[in-house]
Amino acid sequence: MAHQKMMDHLFRHHYGKMVSILTRIFGLQHLETIEDAIQDTFINAIRAWQGNVPESPEAWLIKAARNRLLDLLRKISAADARVARIEAGVDTIAINELFLDHEVEDSVLRMIFTACHPALNPKDQIAFALKTISGFSGKEIAAALLLKEETVKKRLSRARKMIRVKNLAFEIPGGLDLEQRLERVLEVIYLIFNEGFHSNRKDILIREDLCGEAMRLAKTLHSNSFTATPESYALFALFCFQSARLRSKINDQKEIISLQEQDRSRWYQPLILLGHQTMDKAVSATETFSCYHYEAAIAAEHVRASTYEETDWDKILLWYEQLDRLEHSPLNLLNIAVVQLQRRDLEAVKNLLESIQPNLLEQRAYLYYGTYAEYAHQIGNREQALALIDQAIALVENEAESGYLKRKKAKYQMS
Amino acid sequence: MLIFIGVSYAEMNLSPEEIQNRAASWMSWNEKMAKQGVLKEGNALQEDLRRVKGPDRTVTDRTSAELKELIGGYYIVKAADFEGAIEIAQDYPDFDLGGTVEVREVMHYN
Repeated sequence: MAHQKMMDHLFRHHYGKMVSILTRIFGLQHLETIEDAIQDTFINAIRAWQGNVPESPEAWLIKAARNRLLDLLRKISAADARVARIEAGVDTIAINELFLDHEVEDSVLRMIFTACHPALNPKDQIAFALKTISGFSGKEIAAALLLKEETVKKRLSRARKMIRVKNLAFEIPGGLDLEQRLERVLEVIYLIFNEGFHSNRKDILIREDLCGEAMRLAKTLHSNSFTATPESYALFALFCFQSARLRSKINDQKEIISLQEQDRSRWYQPLILLGHQTMDKAVSATETFSCYHYEAAIAAEHVRASTYEETDWDKILLWYEQLDRLEHSPLNLLNIAVVQLQRRDLEAVKNLLESIQPNLLEQRAYLYYGTYAEYAHQIGNREQALALIDQAIALVENEAESGYLKRKKAKYQMS
Repeated sequence: MLIFIGVSYAEMNLSPEEIQNRAASWMSWNEKMAKQGVLKEGNALQEDLRRVKGPDRTVTDRTSAELKELIGGYYIVKAADFEGAIEIAQDYPDFDLGGTVEVREVMHYN
C-alpha cells in the first residue's frame, strides 16, 4: 500500500504538532476544543482525500483544523466577544510563519513543558504527554502502559483540570526555573522510553511506538539551544543504543532473548552510529556527567562488543560504580552484582547481594532472586539455586521474562 | 449502487493512527476501483441532517450522534450483476466497525 508508506504515522505525528501550534494561537484554555477540532479534521480528511492526497498534507490538515476550530469556538460561545477578537487576531497572525519548522518545534516544546509541569501529578504527566503530543488515544495509552482505559481517562481529565485551574502559561520556562523543569522533562521522556523498552508488552509494535515517541520528544529538545543540553544529548544517545537492540530482544515466539543469546548481526547499525555521534555532543561541552551519560556509556559498551565474550565488563563496572556514586540505588547495586557475576568475582557478588534489601526493588525484586539463583548455581549450590529461581518465577509478572527464568530453572535442574 | 451504513467515526473516538489507517484503506479501495474502471461516481455525506416528514412537512433536526445507523456515503459502480457488485463491496473498510453495505441496482428506463 503506497499510501500507507507515504503517510507513515502522518496523522499521529501531526497531531502533536497541530495541537501545539493551535494552542499557541488560541491558548491552553481551549485545549479540549482544539483536540476535538483536530479529530474532526482527520475524519474529514478521509473523505476529502478519497481521490488523492493533497500535495502538502500537513498544510491541508492545519488549515482545515484551524477552520474547524473557529467553527467550534463560534458554536461554543457565540456571544463571546473574545472569540471575535481571536478571529481577528488569527487573521493578522502570519499563520504561515507559525508553520516554519523551528516555530513548530518551539510550539511542541512548550507543550512538552506543559505536560511535565510540576503542578501536574507525575502519573498524569506521562498519560497527558502521550495523548497531547504523541497523539495516542485513551485506549492506546491504556494498552501501552498496561492500565485500565478508565484510569487513563481519569488521569487525562485531572491533568487538563490542573492546567485550567492553575492557569498554566504555555511557555518554555526561562532562567533558574529552566534547569529544574528540564530535569523533569528528561525524566518523563526516560520513563516513556522504558515503558517501551522494558515493558511487559509482548507486542513489539507497541514497544516500538513508545520508544519511537520518546526519541521524537528527546529530539525536539535538541531544536532549542536552551534545551539542547549535554544531559538531553546523553539521553538521546542512550535511546539510540537501546533501540538498536529492540528487535533482537524478542524472537518470533515472543520470548525474551538475553543479551548473551541475541543475534548481534541484527542490531541496527545506523542507530548505533547515531548514538555515538550524539554521545560526542553529550560529552564535548561538559565536565560533569549525568546519570544519562553513564547509562548511555554502559549501553554503548554493550553494543561495541561484537560478541558477548568480548564485552568489556571492567569498563561497565566502572560506569555502574560512577552511576551509583551519583545516584545511589539498590537497582544500581544489583546491576553491579550482575556485572561482577560476569567477571567471576563471586566474593563481590555475595557481598553486594547481601547488602540489598529486595523489597526496595519493588516490582523488580524478581531480578534480585534471579541473580542470586545464578550466583548459587555458580558456586555449585543446586538446592539454593532452585529455591531462589522459584522465588523469582513467583514474583515475575511479564510472561516473556517468566519463560526466560523457567528455562534457567531447567538448566539448574540438569546440573 | 453501494450504500454505506454504519456508525459515525466521530462517535467512535478513533485515534489519529486508526483514522489514518481507515483513510489509507479507503484510498486503496478507490485506487483499485479506478484501475479496474468500475467506479462511476460516489460521494461522502456530511453528518448533519434534517428530516422532512408527514403531510405537515415537519422538519426535524437530527444530529448523527442520535442515530445508530447513518448513511455515510455511496458509490455507483459498474457490475454485471449482484454478484459482481458484492465482489466489489468486499473491500469496504468498515466491516470490522459494524458497517453495512447495501447493494442496490439503479433503475434504468428505456
